[in-house]
Amino acid sequence: MAHQSHAYHMVKPSPWPLTGALSALLMTSGLAMWFHFYSTTLLMLGLLTNTLTMYQWWRDVMRESTYQGHHTPPVQKGLRYGMILFITSEVFFFAGFFWAFYHSSLAPTPQLGGHWPPTGITPLNPLEVPLLNTSVLLASGVSITWAHHSLMENNRNQMIQALLITILLGLYFTLLQASEYFESPFTISDGIYGSTFFVATGFHGLHVIIGSTFLTICLIRQLMFHFTSKHHFGFEAAAWYWHFVDVVWLFLYVSIYWWGS
Amino acid sequence: MLWNLLALHQIGQRTISTASHRHFKNKLPEKHKLFQEDDGIPLYLKGGIADALLHRATMILTVGGRAYAIYQLAVASFPNKGDKKQNTTYSHS
Repeated sequence: MAHQSHAYHMVKPSPWPLTGALSALLMTSGLAMWFHFYSTTLLMLGLLTNTLTMYQWWRDVMRESTYQGHHTPPVQKGLRYGMILFITSEVFFFAGFFWAFYHSSLAPTPQLGGHWPPTGITPLNPLEVPLLNTSVLLASGVSITWAHHSLMENNRNQMIQALLITILLGLYFTLLQASEYFESPFTISDGIYGSTFFVATGFHGLHVIIGSTFLTICLIRQLMFHFTSKHHFGFEAAAWYWHFVDVVWLFLYVSIYWWGS
Repeated sequence: MLWNLLALHQIGQRTISTASHRHFKNKLPEKHKLFQEDDGIPLYLKGGIADALLHRATMILTVGGRAYAIYQLAVASFPNKGDKKQNTTYSHS
């Protein structure tokens, strides 16, 4: 084996950045083909290759860390910075949609009737399903903390149970939100209200699905004994992401569902 | 009746708590040995034949897909050579 005199990880060449970039090309040109020529072939190809790339890339990261031991403390520190920076960029992503919402709702135009919610819009009752959704996500925040502490205390069974509860709560949120979308009296094309509502909550829902997937991967890894009580950064990254998703929902609930109704 | 339910509940609990030990053996030592083997195989192929198949499939789909995307771009760039029978003209008034 090659010997290095430093603790950092010099990653070996990999084909996945190339396939990732190509899949991005296929997804974007696929979108154009779908919009203009009603063909979904390229888009489906793009989504498939994107999924294949993500699966193999992160599988290789697991091999480098858990199986080959490359994730020394300095490497882990770098990964922590990386995850924090990524989540920060996502915060700014959502900030844009909140800006758009407040821009339109703080000074409603005469075309909307001069008030918010606009004329003709019956907003969802914030004390019904949205409140349930809030309690579901808050509870999932508690259960994931329980899972983390169980992991740090080497309590395998409790960690698995708590993580499973977290994932099920995430799934429950997604199902509730999906049913809300179906039952909603307004659509995305109902003026600026519909646009801001569905784009902000829609992207949030996508992030819940991503977070739930991340947590499910962590559950599988825990079942396969990948995590130790001292070294489990993959799980911590998933937990940070999950808390971020929860906080975004709280802002959504207070701004769009409650204040905006 | 209630006693039966209680007994069932206890058995259920006991079975669940031992299930994870029964079904999941710690295969890490084997994985360590496999992936630390000094055989020159790159990491993304080191897992065996499934790795090679997946890698090949991904490459074929992405490179093939890229060619298809460029082809579609070419077709879309020249509407007269496509299937459209009429020219669409947009007039600005």
